[in-house]
Amino acid sequence: MNPELRNILLENSDEIIQDWMDDLKNSKLKEYKSAVSEDLIEQVNREFVNVIFSKLTDEKTSESLEQLSERIVNLGWPLGYLTEGMQSFRSICIRKIIEEVNRDDHEFFLEVMDGVNNWVDPVKNELINKYSTNWTNIISLQKVALQELSAPLIPVMEGITVMPLVGTIDTDRAKLIMENLLDGVIKHRADVVLIDITGVPVVDTMVAHHIIQAAEAVRLIGATCILVGIRPEIAQTIVNLGIDLSKFPTKSSLKRGFEKALELTEREVVSTNEETGKVVDELISSIDKE
Amino acid sequence: MRIPILKLQNYLLVSVQIELDDQTAMQFQEDLLNKIHSTGATGVVVDLTSVEIIDSFIAKVLGDVVSMAELMGAKVVFTGIQPAVSMTLIDLGIHLQNVQTALDLEQGLIKLKQELEEK
Repeated sequence: MNPELRNILLENSDEIIQDWMDDLKNSKLKEYKSAVSEDLIEQVNREFVNVIFSKLTDEKTSESLEQLSERIVNLGWPLGYLTEGMQSFRSICIRKIIEEVNRDDHEFFLEVMDGVNNWVDPVKNELINKYSTNWTNIISLQKVALQELSAPLIPVMEGITVMPLVGTIDTDRAKLIMENLLDGVIKHRADVVLIDITGVPVVDTMVAHHIIQAAEAVRLIGATCILVGIRPEIAQTIVNLGIDLSKFPTKSSLKRGFEKALELTEREVVSTNEETGKVVDELISSIDKE
Repeated sequence: MRIPILKLQNYLLVSVQIELDDQTAMQFQEDLLNKIHSTGATGVVVDLTSVEIIDSFIAKVLGDVVSMAELMGAKVVFTGIQPAVSMTLIDLGIHLQNVQTALDLEQGLIKLKQELEEK
């Protein structure tokens, strides 16, 4: 920037800051006030002003700027507040310079504009970049978390595993489900896999197709698939859509599916308390007598 | 290259250790049927653990072997089909409806025994 302009800005820095703070307080802040406390705003604004003025004298202040932007991102301020604040800061600076230097020509005005823009914009860009990087990070983290949650396989007993599905199933997820299912069957040496669709809100032809494919694939690697958690409305849609699920067993609840799985693996649940069994036997025999 | 077919009591064990091409698959079909004929075996376990690729032709040949062996009175169980292979087959629309499968050789033998006892 032109040294002359720079000096003007530096000389009037206190006034500019005061004007800016007032401006923010009067107009821009109101919308965001509920999100942040006033003291904090004041404090961060001061910090920001310090950084931006030191940027004016010294080009190499990127470190403190980085720290500041990181702080602002962590505070979670709305981006709109930042951009509005920067804009008002810019216009106040331009106005100040033009007031100080009483020249009326076109070229001078352009020079001031360019100078201030070149000064403020990099800072603004830095802040916005920080924000978007932060968002991208969050999104990718959530994606990973979602993927981990999307197709869990739980070995409940030797030879029996359960895959509870929650949420909508699309093609990508169906692929992931199938991969996890097959790898899990091999890993846990499962004889029977229960796919629980209690948490799947809608079963249309596509979802049914994916489930059938998964079940067929499971059969090919040598295990049996049982579809459980079929709610009444899902049974209705499946029949109305003409989907054929007769190739593998289906059950209404995980409980009944598990009983079926035990039956398939030739096991059963017995009570360890013989007393209860005796009592029931006695009851039955006494009823028979009567 | 021929695939060795081993006899264990009245079962035949086949472990496919090479990638199947069309020629080998046809040869295998012929060999297996001959072996069933000569030994009078009642059950066959075909282990596909080390097979990475099964295309539609091989799948058809394998499916045919099952039907043919059945005609000759021998039950066939395929074991150890890899997840990737199974996914590819399903994607190709090959469901191998008439084929019995098991997780590994051990499970395959158990399954075969059960099936033969049921009859």
